[in-house]
Amino acid sequence: MNGGKRTAGMPGDKPFFLWRHLNKLRWMSLSIVFAMLVLLPFLHVYQTYVAAHAYDLLSPPERGLYDAMEFLTAPFTDDPAEDLDAVKGNTWSATFWGLKLSDPLAAGGQMAAGRTLHWPFLHTVLIPVAFTVIFGRFFCGWLCPATLLYELNSNFAAWLRWAGINLGNRKFDKRIKYAVLALGLVLSALSGSVLVAAVYPPAIIGREIYYGIALGGFGAGTVFFLGTVLFDLLVARRGFCRYLCPGGALYSLLGRYRLVRIRRIVETCNDCAKCNAVCEFGLDPMRDGFGQECNNCAACIAICPTDAMTFIIRPTDHPAQGLGHLGWQYRHRQAAERQQAVTRGEAA
Amino acid sequence: MDRRTFLSALGAAAVAALAALTPQAARSAWSRRSLRYLRPPGPFPEKEFLSRCINCGQCGEACPNRCIKFFSLENGWGSIDTPYIIPREKGCILCMKCGDVCPTGAIKPTAREAQAILDGVKMGHARVDESLCLSYQGKTCGVCYRACPLPDVAIYVGRLEQPHVTDKCVGCGLCERSCIQLPQAIRIIPNLG
Repeated sequence: MNGGKRTAGMPGDKPFFLWRHLNKLRWMSLSIVFAMLVLLPFLHVYQTYVAAHAYDLLSPPERGLYDAMEFLTAPFTDDPAEDLDAVKGNTWSATFWGLKLSDPLAAGGQMAAGRTLHWPFLHTVLIPVAFTVIFGRFFCGWLCPATLLYELNSNFAAWLRWAGINLGNRKFDKRIKYAVLALGLVLSALSGSVLVAAVYPPAIIGREIYYGIALGGFGAGTVFFLGTVLFDLLVARRGFCRYLCPGGALYSLLGRYRLVRIRRIVETCNDCAKCNAVCEFGLDPMRDGFGQECNNCAACIAICPTDAMTFIIRPTDHPAQGLGHLGWQYRHRQAAERQQAVTRGEAA
Repeated sequence: MDRRTFLSALGAAAVAALAALTPQAARSAWSRRSLRYLRPPGPFPEKEFLSRCINCGQCGEACPNRCIKFFSLENGWGSIDTPYIIPREKGCILCMKCGDVCPTGAIKPTAREAQAILDGVKMGHARVDESLCLSYQGKTCGVCYRACPLPDVAIYVGRLEQPHVTDKCVGCGLCERSCIQLPQAIRIIPNLG
């Protein structure tokens, strides 16, 4: 993060060139996560066919699946029934070669439901919590499979608006999601089962893809998720993530004093407000208003026409710097001073 | 009264109406218990299992036998998205891969050895209906005994291959799955605690 180390904002200073491309990397990361969620159930079905030694008994489409998965995995394994167990799970909880990672909300929900601390499980959330303390809501922007669908949905909504169809874009209080988190944990505690998982899209999507591919079909979670998509489309842009998501609320709280933040370089900002328009979480980058909700998605960095967004390492947001168009004045003054220095040099 | 106030009043009324349902109705919506199902192989009775399971679905993904399925709302709100096994459809082969992959210990990690499984797994207990069992009707059968992964420990046969289930039965359900009678003469009574 050398963008923060340098004296950002000096004339001629640009953010590190890669930051502009982070948004593309982010889309790639979201796509890879989603593709894995689709691939893993197929791999599981393939494993069960292998374990059953049942190739001759498979129907033609099942054979197609078997052959495709064999083609994909043959370079990596001789024993798919055992070796493919290395990667299992989804974004709610997953296993990578024995390393188990879980969503912090899963730990919260389980602690509430069981009213005990179960240490082997709590260890699985340490790495995600550490990353959240450093990077804030990065999970929401970079890994969540629902984010991929919600952002595509938001682009779809933009097309509809462009086509002249009037969609709702209401604003609610961002603190509602903290109430949802608290209510979810209280209900989990009262009922003794982890209910927050039923209203948390990243948990729902991994499961539902698995149900759809490997089991009979989609379950109740799909209905809930489609409801949130419609809410986003018709009522409030990215409304679920902004106002309702219990996991987003927990990540926001954990990332309140995150170290890696986005900061505006006031001297080059020209007040065009593209960052505010592109911000999926409805934040206010143009006036240095990021807060605990920013997920470091870097969309504002990517769209900024004057390269006025960069990263800093700081536990709180950069204090408000005033309007960016003042940057013209700074730059004119600095240019005049440089010019004076040059002319002085020539005179001497 | 504008539309928003009206709608929020309507919502509040709906919540109040739901809360005013009889406790009996609420309880049955919460947990219907109309199905006879097993939880994946672990030691915990239903209540403790529910408080530990985070509904991640990894046990199902690890199961090579595809016997683990997941509830939608069939069993009430309390067990939404939790894993279950219907032993008549497909029994558990006690490979214990789900225990390895379970992050929360709802399914305890258990070695794939007879003693570890006998100590650490209690999904239920098999019970023979002697009026249905072929062997008790004089037609030698013994299929359940041959299907049992723990023969002579969990189940032994007497005269005419009549099955006798011992206390050590872990409730995997393979006997119920294999029973050739319709309806089945041996059933797993789930460990609901």
